Amino acid sequence: MPPSPDTLFQLANPLAMLGWIALLFAPMMPRWADRIAALAIPLLLSVAYTALILVHWAAAEGGYSSLQAVMQLFANPNIALAGWLHYLAFDLLIGAWISRTARAEAIPHAAVIPCLALTFLFGPIGYLAFLALQYLQSQRQKAATT
Amino acid sequence: MMLTSARPAPNQLWQTAPALTATAALVTLALIPLSTAMALDTRLLQGDPVWLKPVKFHIAIAIYLITLAFFARFIPIATRESRRFRAFIAVVCTSALLELLWVGGAASAGTASHFNVANPVMAIAYGLAGLFAVLLTSGSLGIGVAVWRNRDSGLAPAQHLAISIGLVLTFLLTVIVAGTLSSGSGHFIGTSTRNLPVFGWSRDAGDLRVAHFFATHALQAVPLAGLTGSRTIVIAAAAAYTALVLATFAQALAGLPFLPGPG
Repeated sequence: MPPSPDTLFQLANPLAMLGWIALLFAPMMPRWADRIAALAIPLLLSVAYTALILVHWAAAEGGYSSLQAVMQLFANPNIALAGWLHYLAFDLLIGAWISRTARAEAIPHAAVIPCLALTFLFGPIGYLAFLALQYLQSQRQKAATT
Repeated sequence: MMLTSARPAPNQLWQTAPALTATAALVTLALIPLSTAMALDTRLLQGDPVWLKPVKFHIAIAIYLITLAFFARFIPIATRESRRFRAFIAVVCTSALLELLWVGGAASAGTASHFNVANPVMAIAYGLAGLFAVLLTSGSLGIGVAVWRNRDSGLAPAQHLAISIGLVLTFLLTVIVAGTLSSGSGHFIGTSTRNLPVFGWSRDAGDLRVAHFFATHALQAVPLAGLTGSRTIVIAAAAAYTALVLATFAQALAGLPFLPGPG
């Protein structure tokens, strides 16, 4: 018997967590953090997502045309799991992008950590927080050079 | 050895047949999500996991394309880089991808691909898939003829003959067998209750897929005869191989299993 959606959910969460931990230690191992959080784990999650869609999309009810249809899609546990993997993979990719961009722009890691935490919990809020941080850093650098 | 080269083999595949090599690589990589889907799916189609057929098709087509990519090195570079030849290869590669998309799409929907004329959409798709299958197989004909016409292939005469005959035979035998296969209502002649592991060939009914398998693998089998260095042996081997294909074809049409026995 193939693993149930609940089992896959239980496996996917710690896997994504591993990526976030790697990002937390990114200053000590930038190349590995990138390989893990921007490549290996999103790749695994994407393979699982693709397989779930291949297996369950055809029989799923609902669609993308209205909010009602989207909610109907997510009433199917396998599609909801695929949606969750989508969150996990893409949030982690944004986290990796934040980490890489912060390194390139010399933004202190201590300031990046809250953005990573927010991205982990509430994706777009973390992204917004990082954009704000980037703006502060650019203003600070401008002030330092003039 | 005539086949050796200063460059490593994978590199030469990319240089002499980039489109065929890239398509073969893509088709192989797709096996990762496909086999994951197979592991997650409980649906059966005619007794087999629904993803078994797409997985088999991906493996078979990847082997076919990479074999063509290998033989493309015996075509003159001017021909290989001509607009006409590249357009032809693009048609072959596109046909392969569309064929796999159809087989995979049907599996995803939990329905049959070949012989499925249950609704107008699937009936049209099956008709188109037949056309793409012929275009895909024509790859071996086109490359076989181009190798045959190359007077400066650097190949020993027996190898040159074996590769040319092997590629052209692949097309002819496959079109004869698969044409007959697809014009029926299923690949079995009779009622099959037992089958061979891995291949799935029936052990108690005629199975036209056996002859299709041998017909298409003339692509590898006949060129191997070229290694004997004798043109006479090559011609004899090609004749014997054709006889084998026709014998398994006749056997299946008569409703007899290729390897009778318990399942």
